[in-house]
Amino acid sequence: MRSRRKPWLSYLVVALGGLVMVVPFLDLVMTSFKGPGEYGTLPYHFLPKHLDFGNYAAAIDGLDLPLLFRNSIIVTLVVTTAVLLTSSLAGYALAKLRFPGRAFVFRFVLTTMMFPPFLFLIPDFLILVHWPLAGGNNLFGTGGSGLAMSIVALVMPFLVSGFGIFLMRQFIVSIPDEVLEAARLDGAGEFTIWLRIVLPQTRPVAITLGLLTFVNAWNEYIWSLLIATANPRAMTLPVGIQLLQNYLDPARTTPIVMAGLVLSIIPVLVVFLLLQKYYVRGVLTSGLR
Amino acid sequence: MATLTTRAPDRASRRTTVGTPARRGRRQTVTAYLFLAPTLLFFAVFLVLPLLFALLLAVSKWSGFSLGQITPIGFGNFASILGRGSTFLTPILTNTLLFAFGSVVIALLASLVLANCINRLRFQGFWRTLYFLPIVTTVVAVGNIWKVLYEPTGGLVNGLLNAIGLPSVSFLTNPNTALPSIVVVQAWTAVGSAILILTAGLKAIPESYYEAAELDGAGAWTMFWTMTLPMLRPTLLFVSITQFITALQSFALIIVMTGDGGPADATNVAGFEMYQQAFKYGDWGTASAMAFVLFLVILVITLAQLWFFRRKGEETS
Repeated sequence: MRSRRKPWLSYLVVALGGLVMVVPFLDLVMTSFKGPGEYGTLPYHFLPKHLDFGNYAAAIDGLDLPLLFRNSIIVTLVVTTAVLLTSSLAGYALAKLRFPGRAFVFRFVLTTMMFPPFLFLIPDFLILVHWPLAGGNNLFGTGGSGLAMSIVALVMPFLVSGFGIFLMRQFIVSIPDEVLEAARLDGAGEFTIWLRIVLPQTRPVAITLGLLTFVNAWNEYIWSLLIATANPRAMTLPVGIQLLQNYLDPARTTPIVMAGLVLSIIPVLVVFLLLQKYYVRGVLTSGLR
Repeated sequence: MATLTTRAPDRASRRTTVGTPARRGRRQTVTAYLFLAPTLLFFAVFLVLPLLFALLLAVSKWSGFSLGQITPIGFGNFASILGRGSTFLTPILTNTLLFAFGSVVIALLASLVLANCINRLRFQGFWRTLYFLPIVTTVVAVGNIWKVLYEPTGGLVNGLLNAIGLPSVSFLTNPNTALPSIVVVQAWTAVGSAILILTAGLKAIPESYYEAAELDGAGAWTMFWTMTLPMLRPTLLFVSITQFITALQSFALIIVMTGDGGPADATNVAGFEMYQQAFKYGDWGTASAMAFVLFLVILVITLAQLWFFRRKGEETS
């Protein structure tokens, strides 16, 4: 290994930076335990006087946690499953099947990644409002609220990911053609090949993509806020906690919100720490190709 | 990058398959389009249709009720947001550029230093995970955590300032400090992924280059400037472009931290203004026109970076 000359300087820089990354999270946890009158007063104290679980009780009380967790879990599971399925199917077709229009479809998929999401915010909402034959709408999409008032609205714009298709395709390309040909000669159909050969072979990249999608879906805010404004029953965890601040006793708001945040961060943090090596690998391979 | 990737499928398609070509070909075409059907259907409804709709709205007047009330008015929306007396160019678009430029520059410089340092340490995975924490945390958490840190009474940052004898600063309510304060938070969340990608770039530089330079008596500083930095250029370009695209359109942090883009538009950015125009004021035409202006700004800034990095590349090679 090179450059062992001044590792202490590197340690110093990295550790100082690490403090800047971690201290805000520690402050979050500490504040979530601060009792009445302990937060928002001078001088500042990092540590709470004693562990007060009252904020957690209040957060659980003020939030409709069963509803919020249910919505967040449904959204995350549906989006992750849909993205994995559609990416794998489309990725296989683009990588290993030969058909007219393939180059065009592939280029189209790449192009979809370049449009910034905000461009779709307004039209997507209107498309859901005017969805034909749903939510009281007639065949022409008028008369009711369409899908906009349903929990379906939360997942609709995220079911397919151009990035996911691209990532899966890049991975499936490297499966040797001979393996697929042998299966075809044995009389296997393309669906069987996808199910029996491609799916098992792409497990590592599927975990990566699943994790990226899971984290994004769990943390998604702007679209969920929009849908929850139209229909509070479709509220997800991030939106619920953000709106919590409007309803609570102002003197204790912040510590209670912090407690709610700790509760909402834990699931995704656990998943991330368990599967982080795939996550890191995924960003490394997808980010540079 | 795009040109490299689009070439890949042609190479694969040149391989031939055994068997009866005509029938197999037809069957593969049908299967392929079946496999692609959900994807193509989705993009038709949630990509092509919205784009056309956004284009129509941008040149129309519409208050968001009945679709029959959409009235085409030509480029009036663009004229009014770009004209005199509009707040869109200043301060909103200026804020957007400052927000993006500030956060990307801080994140790039910090990640460049940190990635280089981490690369020399043990337990690299641990350090990188540490810096990655904000990315797996929802923006609602990040925004609120920092709101609390910035609090004038009882916040950690002011606690530190007071401890060294400085007066408290009302970071988020003072128009002069509000935007820079949020820029720091945006950079804080962006450092982790930048470190990750820069590390991949660093690992791709052959160790033998450094050994050769060391034999020639080059110091660490010289090696960094003459080898590491030039060879990292493609990676830096990738990080810079993707982070600019994200920062130019993101406004979730601003909603969470200041609520309304205040004080007095000091933290109002284009993405947020567009959102407000549509969903608060019901002026969907103006909102869509703003969306396209912002899209053009992003496009120009992306192309400018490509041009800048390419020119720099020619000078040094």
